[in-house]
Amino acid sequence: MVAAESEGRLVREAQRGSKDALAELYSRHWSDAQRAAYLVVHDASASEDIAQDAFLAAVAALDRFDRRRRLAPWLHRIVVNKSIDWARREELRRAVGEPDTELPAPAAGSQQVGEDLMAALADLPPDQRAVVVLRHLLGYTPGQIARMLDLPRGTVNSRLRRALDRLRSLLEENDR
Amino acid sequence: MREQRLQELLRQTEVPGAADAERRGMLVVEAAFGRSPTRRRPLPRLAATVAIAVLLTALLLSPAGAAVRDWIGDVFSAGVPNAEPELTRIPGGGRLLVQSSQGPWVVKPNGSRRLLGDYREAGWSPRGLFVAAVAGRVLSAIEPDGTPHWSISAAATVRDPRWSPSGLEIAYLAGSALYVIAGDGTEEVRVDGAVAPVPPSFSSRGLAQLAYIDGDGRLRIVDVTGGGLLAAARAVAGIRVLQWGRGDSLLLEGAPRALRLRSVATRKTSAALRIGSPTRLRLPAGATVRAAALSPDGDTVAALVAAGAAGAGRRSEVILFRVGSGAPRRLFTAPGSLSELAWSPDGDRLLLAWPEADQWLFVPARGSGRVRAVDGISRAFAPGGSGGAFPRIEGWCCVPAPPR
Repeated sequence: MVAAESEGRLVREAQRGSKDALAELYSRHWSDAQRAAYLVVHDASASEDIAQDAFLAAVAALDRFDRRRRLAPWLHRIVVNKSIDWARREELRRAVGEPDTELPAPAAGSQQVGEDLMAALADLPPDQRAVVVLRHLLGYTPGQIARMLDLPRGTVNSRLRRALDRLRSLLEENDR
Repeated sequence: MREQRLQELLRQTEVPGAADAERRGMLVVEAAFGRSPTRRRPLPRLAATVAIAVLLTALLLSPAGAAVRDWIGDVFSAGVPNAEPELTRIPGGGRLLVQSSQGPWVVKPNGSRRLLGDYREAGWSPRGLFVAAVAGRVLSAIEPDGTPHWSISAAATVRDPRWSPSGLEIAYLAGSALYVIAGDGTEEVRVDGAVAPVPPSFSSRGLAQLAYIDGDGRLRIVDVTGGGLLAAARAVAGIRVLQWGRGDSLLLEGAPRALRLRSVATRKTSAALRIGSPTRLRLPAGATVRAAALSPDGDTVAALVAAGAAGAGRRSEVILFRVGSGAPRRLFTAPGSLSELAWSPDGDRLLLAWPEADQWLFVPARGSGRVRAVDGISRAFAPGGSGGAFPRIEGWCCVPAPPR
């Protein structure tokens, strides 16, 4: 986790026009942002777009950003909401029967268990994938997730529970 | 699965191509950061006032005031830094056909330019021996030095002339009708009286087969030597681009929100063709296709798309799709709006137009190599400063024409 104090200083320097500070903020947050998007949308190109869009939104709003707050939750909120929108659009597109081309295979060297997890995640609805990613990749509490997704906390808890139950069952099926 | 194990697996997940994506993202974000209006006023108010006063004094007193204004514009506008100041050669060779508000220009490999005359649209013949040029209702064949060869007058305004690869026919739209005329300006035939405003495309192997979109939005393939309709199928909604590629077995359909490839096969029992189901090429989320073209060898589709949020977050991307697999590869990303693309004759490069930056970009499409940017494109095709729209790329032609 990035220390809030040090991040506040970087944000202040970026607000003053420092490209180095911007680059440091970018390198701290890019990987998590793109990985989070990828785990929700399961499409590397789309995850790149979504992460880029989140950073561009951050640049556009940088001067209004309150330095006492942390940048990551704000970025992650954009990333995850955009990812959910994208995944829902894709589902709709598939539902109306537009065929896809073959997409590139997963990166060489991926571990089987990682592939199984990706396949199991793909079986969840986008909003369940999102809460799993926010909770277990990015480490937010259910209360924080509820605020990020604009949902009641109980809904977040139930989505998390359903998602984890489903993941467990899918992964156990694969193990047999 | 224990939750801790789930966390480990999620954190170990590798995104394919992550390192390249991070690099591309940094370029886009840095460019947006440099263009953000708030980044342009880091000076305290007093210092800024003094700086502006000094600058204004320079503008008022210096005979080089125009140069200072240019410099300010360069600092705050989009574009590739360290661009060549003018077009002195075409990277990779070949000749360009460029339409400006004054008319079409032929650009030779050494960058020298010739205005062909008062035409508003033009297209190369297959080997670059002639140019089909349009002025109102008149379609002309002219030589690349501007010498007229023949002209015909059509019943309505002519547009989108397309020469067949054999050089034997030219297809063109006149009003809402599609015509084909022999390459020597004779034997005009009306193919269809009601077609969509989409440029037609001739078979790439030189057969007399022409694909076009009719007035009902159907893709039709006809034999222009009198063989009639060979195949028909529903085209993608809003189609703007239709191009025949790779041994006549494939058609590219492009619309603002979709790119599709369709196979075309010969039927065993007749001369008719069969158009296969479309295969969709996957675009970035929310992207709008501005231009798309098959490479000269037909193996790759280049798509120029606008992506990202509206306003300062808008960016342009060039994506290459392998025809066989549909696998995408991002070739180039830039902030703002690129407007056009054209393949070099050998398929090694793409020429991209960037009106906001007044630049052309020559981008290697295969392997590595550096992007060559050329500044001052508007000025190059508007001698005397006549202004007008940013010049339009009509074509990048072929091997040099043999001596005649």
